[in-house]
Amino acid sequence: MDWSIHVTNANEVRGDMSAPGAAGFDSGSKLAPIVEVTWKLIGEYFGAVSFTRCAYGNEFCEHLIPSPQQLERVLSAADEREMGLTLLTPYVSDAGIESLKPLFEMLSENGASEVVFNDWGVLNLLRREFPRLKPVQGRLMNKSLRDPRVTGVYAASDAPAPALVSLRRSNLDCTSYTGFLSGLGVDSVELDNLPQGVDQSFAEGGMKASAYVPFGFISTSRICMAAGIHYDKRDKFQPGAPCHHECQTHLLEYTYTNTPFGNRDQKFYLKGNSYFYVHTEAMLRGLFEQSRSGLIDRMVFQPRLPMMWERA
Amino acid sequence: MKVLAPISAYDELEMLAASGAEEFYCGIVPREWLDRYTGAVWLNRRSPKGGSLETLSELKQLVDGAHCLGIPVFLTLNAPYYTAEQMSWVMELARRLDGEAGVDALIVTDINLLMQLSQAKLNAALHVSSVAATLNTEAIRFLLQFGPSRIILPRSLTIPEIERIVNATRDEVEIEVFMLNDGCAFEEGFCSTTHHHTVGAFCTNLSEMDTDFERSGGRELTRRQNSRLRRNLTDYREWIWYVNGNGCGSTPNGLPYGPCGLCAIHDFKRIGVESLKIVGREASPFKKLASVRMVRAIVDQVRAGSEKLVTIERAKSLRGDRQHCDSGYMCYYKVEA
Repeated sequence: MDWSIHVTNANEVRGDMSAPGAAGFDSGSKLAPIVEVTWKLIGEYFGAVSFTRCAYGNEFCEHLIPSPQQLERVLSAADEREMGLTLLTPYVSDAGIESLKPLFEMLSENGASEVVFNDWGVLNLLRREFPRLKPVQGRLMNKSLRDPRVTGVYAASDAPAPALVSLRRSNLDCTSYTGFLSGLGVDSVELDNLPQGVDQSFAEGGMKASAYVPFGFISTSRICMAAGIHYDKRDKFQPGAPCHHECQTHLLEYTYTNTPFGNRDQKFYLKGNSYFYVHTEAMLRGLFEQSRSGLIDRMVFQPRLPMMWERA
Repeated sequence: MKVLAPISAYDELEMLAASGAEEFYCGIVPREWLDRYTGAVWLNRRSPKGGSLETLSELKQLVDGAHCLGIPVFLTLNAPYYTAEQMSWVMELARRLDGEAGVDALIVTDINLLMQLSQAKLNAALHVSSVAATLNTEAIRFLLQFGPSRIILPRSLTIPEIERIVNATRDEVEIEVFMLNDGCAFEEGFCSTTHHHTVGAFCTNLSEMDTDFERSGGRELTRRQNSRLRRNLTDYREWIWYVNGNGCGSTPNGLPYGPCGLCAIHDFKRIGVESLKIVGREASPFKKLASVRMVRAIVDQVRAGSEKLVTIERAKSLRGDRQHCDSGYMCYYKVEA
């Protein structure tokens, strides 16, 4: 199994990756405990892992697409370290497509790189204009119910087996779909570990899977709460509105105090335009146990929520 | 430019058609699906008890009745995905919806289902649901390989973005946009949560949770920064209230509130948008009726050549409460007057 780490800038690629704990990556006090637990469990299950690849970019917001100069620096640092690079891309408007083109041109000139797509339009662009780049289906395209308010309850309850089986699967369950992806040159997909568990049997057909730890996405929007700060009240919360990357200044933690179930301590995190859940230790252990079956090709370690962006 | 109305029963047909509906869409959830998967797994984007028909015979009666009035009926099979077991079942259902019920189009999200339906060569046309999150022209180019006749754009596109897409795909595919009622705080195609009645929508649920801000970089938020973030959160929660149909409220005249694009109809006519979607299969017959009347009134005015500003004024007067229109939070689209 390969190991990848999600980085924000070239300095992180050049930094010490022997123990990329929360302190070195500024995870913040709310998220540092789960990042530390994750790193500890990685050591427990896999020993001293070596990152052979870095994930760079953003899956959730086209305002967080890096500039060509930023990508060039990260690419150069990854080359120096002989690490592979995976460029993460978000869902995009037509303007976002235009922002991605120079990045793809640079990667294409540099040789074979991976590009994670979370938008059919991005895949279409890659296939038509950048055939040297290797497309990877992102986790937003991996359709499954990821509602941590209830999915853990479903898993623990006496729900009928067909319902739970269905909830642990995704669109990847259909060989017609994975065959379709293969026909498009997509032989790798990215996953979140779900509170209800993930059925990875789709990977038995040859599709490679990457799993992200310890954060999973819940929901995302073109309407960003954080971006609203600098607008007059009437003009706030417009889709795709220009911003000053206000999301980089803070994190908002929600506590599920109004649950009808027993999970009153459950937390959700909003960073910019996207909500995330954190893995519990039990979820991490479950995933790491599963990975021993050989069905996970790569683990992607996120030392903080995947919304960080380097100010130019 | 057509007025597309939700419908959930044959009894609603006559009044909605008489009020100006020019296209219908509906859902079906056969008992067999519920027995197997319970309410935890939805066949389409509405809860099984949320405005879907239950039997093919009910649907056929509805479709036949609509066809007698010259109105097409589209049917939602727009869950974000189906597993392998479900896919076989859904394909069989689709064949019966096409052959026995005679629906005019199937509204689909899952690209795998779209692919299989395109290979099945049904009579029914294919519409790509807004849940497929088709946000750019390249995505439409990708989807055209499956032969859809219509793409339903997500609510989150702006008028200039919609105009660019329509201009780039004109004569290749029809474009449908949201016009009235339910909002969605998130990008619907990338929201992985449920609206199950035990928990409700995640966006509105969040408005009732305890919150705590943390500053990046390890420093404490100043009181001023915290206060500013709190004010913005309060505004965001107010916006969510509007997204949720003004707390599911109604005007003093009993008309429904909720996100609205009436002021944009003039622009959509100019741009060449094909269909204006009214949301709410699960809504009461009265809400459906009032919604169709409101949209049709503005469409008729635009068709008659009314000036844009006059149309906007008329739209605001129809909504019945200027204060809500002026808030800016009840609009799907920001319209440049």
